[in-house]
Amino acid sequence: MTKITSVVVWIVVAAVGAFAFAALALGHGESVSAAWLVTAALAVYFIAYRFYGKYIAERVLQLDDSRVTPALRHNDGMDYVPTNKWVLYGHHFAAIAGAGPLVGPVLAAQMGYLPGTLWILAGVVVAGAVQDFIVLFASVRRDGKSLGEMIKMELGPVPGSLALVGVLAIMIIILAVLSLVVVKALTASPWGLFTIAATVPIALIMGVYMRVLRPGRVGEASAIGVVLLLASLVFGQTVANDPVWGPAFTLTGTQLAWALIGYGAVASSLPVWLMLAPRDYLSTFLKIGTVVALAIGIYVVAPPLAMPQTTRFLDGSGPVFAGALFPFLFITIACGAVSGFHSLISSGTTPKMIERESHMRLIGFGGMLAESFVAIMAICAACVLQPGVYFAMNAPAAVIGTTAAQAAQVISNWGFTITPDMIAQTAKDIGETTILSRAGGAPTLAVGMAQILAQAIGGKAMEALWYHFAILFEALFILTAVDAGTRVGRFMIQDMLGHVYRPLGNTELLPANFLATGLCVALWGYFLYQGVVDPLGGINTLWQLFGVGNQMLAGIALLLCSSVLVKMKRERYAWVTLVPTAWLLVTTLTAGIQKIFHSDPRIGFLALANKFSEAAAHGTVLAPAKSIGEMQRVAFNNYLDAAVCAVFVALVLAMCVFAIKICVQALRQAQPSAVEIPPLASAQALPA
Amino acid sequence: MSRSVGHPADPGAPAAPHAAADAPPSRQTRRARLAAALHAAHRNYLHLFGIPDYERYLAHMTQAHPGEPRLSRREFCAHAIDRKYSRNGPRCC
Repeated sequence: MTKITSVVVWIVVAAVGAFAFAALALGHGESVSAAWLVTAALAVYFIAYRFYGKYIAERVLQLDDSRVTPALRHNDGMDYVPTNKWVLYGHHFAAIAGAGPLVGPVLAAQMGYLPGTLWILAGVVVAGAVQDFIVLFASVRRDGKSLGEMIKMELGPVPGSLALVGVLAIMIIILAVLSLVVVKALTASPWGLFTIAATVPIALIMGVYMRVLRPGRVGEASAIGVVLLLASLVFGQTVANDPVWGPAFTLTGTQLAWALIGYGAVASSLPVWLMLAPRDYLSTFLKIGTVVALAIGIYVVAPPLAMPQTTRFLDGSGPVFAGALFPFLFITIACGAVSGFHSLISSGTTPKMIERESHMRLIGFGGMLAESFVAIMAICAACVLQPGVYFAMNAPAAVIGTTAAQAAQVISNWGFTITPDMIAQTAKDIGETTILSRAGGAPTLAVGMAQILAQAIGGKAMEALWYHFAILFEALFILTAVDAGTRVGRFMIQDMLGHVYRPLGNTELLPANFLATGLCVALWGYFLYQGVVDPLGGINTLWQLFGVGNQMLAGIALLLCSSVLVKMKRERYAWVTLVPTAWLLVTTLTAGIQKIFHSDPRIGFLALANKFSEAAAHGTVLAPAKSIGEMQRVAFNNYLDAAVCAVFVALVLAMCVFAIKICVQALRQAQPSAVEIPPLASAQALPA
Repeated sequence: MSRSVGHPADPGAPAAPHAAADAPPSRQTRRARLAAALHAAHRNYLHLFGIPDYERYLAHMTQAHPGEPRLSRREFCAHAIDRKYSRNGPRCC
């Protein structure tokens, strides 16, 4: 492209973006099409990628294609494989994008579509994409080492071990909250539960097919799997209407929680080829397919955003989660803006497949932009719903009651007009008995997606099918995450137990495996169960705990990135990571401390715990608890949540101290001190 | 050093015919080109979803370790799947 064409193209992109933002900002009082939101986001991504991504690649990191990447150095045809950059882009995207970018933005939509959108766009450019990119870079320059190993190398062994403890704690909370999302989506939903349950035998059939019947023919097995999956989706409606099977698949929240706990324990103990691998292929197909379909759907249908730009809940009085815009918006939307968990992926498989250093801009920076785009689409899906429907689905029963009439009255009083008939009709359209208090993001997103996709294909008649397709899509990859996450958690626990008593660390030893698996499942299962029986809905507690943990991990990863830049003697560019680090520390420490100490029992864990334990001591039962025993449980759980939150806060403060110490040392030295593979060694590794 | 296989722009992509640059491509060349493109697309599709690619492994062994014993397709796929999922990093939230 000549210079002039390039200038013209980028002026056009900027103009389109500015126009889209103007449409969003000036459309006061009348509804704006969701397509404008998506267009504005795309313009931001392109400009950020072209200018800021390039700046980081060329100036800050000084990517060098003459260096040999781990994929080329160790090329073994299996783990270390140089891969086409667009293929790896898709692969990396599939690995980072999960339920996170779908749930957070839906919850944050209670404040209107604008706050969430602006944070997602600003957060991804300044923090999220930068983190993923630089962690990937650091890992590639360190032979594909993991985040924990890199922290050990660059910051020292103590911070390395602390980071591992933090990662395990976050993982437990993630597994609990993701399972809770599934429970909320499938409670009293026989159609949904049947399709999800059917994925288990489907995965087993695929696993046996590609291991025993036609070894290695993964493609054939996947085709069979997709066909069976769609068949079960259609057949689910028949099952739900069946007088015998319908009630059999209608489970309560607690029953589902136990089922998931059992599933997690069994699935993570099976050989990987039997269930995890085939299920992962299925969920990856669905994930990429659905994201593309939704993007096309939003442009084809161009649905108007029914949610206002901002709502009165900016002040922290919202029913979906409590707490004001600052700091709680910034921990509610984690994935999509910046997600600490990505630092584990960017230092996992992906660095072992990078062919050239210059590809990292597309894969690291660009991959995160794509995830952010998913989050924007989730906001669109939530905000095309009538706000009344949105609040009916997301506010807990303790606030809006359990009947459509009560809910309609409460929500209409907030200023979002809705009738009991509208609530009932929405449930009927999607083939469910009720939509009330289905917090957790997945069902809201599914209703939004169903309304968008049904307008594109199939009309009202297809809406129920699209809804259950969307639920299937989300539940499938959450269950994969539960399975894979339990395994990873088990290994981490075994690693730690091995330091206490050696045989417990032996992964070949069956009893040791069972013990560690049991511990891992018990840990997340406890939080899940607590969330399910929590009369306030559970999501508003667990999701914020997860948000704090995830953003703290991002803070730790960015502290590592800053230290690496300083140790490379690139301190003049360190602002690139220091700015997002500072922002993450400010928001998450504020949020963490508020979650522990805030005097409002809706926000502070301790305040709520004290309120309940004091009342219990006086023998008074506070709603929504029903007995003194329940009161004591609420109090205990909130003390526990406060303790977990305190661990996150302490961890990130400790990491901060370690990082500052290392940076001060590095600044005093005249020579770079980062532990990289030197370019000379990488050149020598090249065969002539 | 072996480059990524299945790359559409990779000159070493298998079955890519060498057509004379000036002459218009014959029907046979066109068909061979189409076959090569489909082949490359299939390989890229495998890599995109992280599905084990036995051909890539064979190509790698031929190039880097000629004469050494190779895993069968069954062994390779079993091994690759076990390695990918057993201890690997977590999927994201």
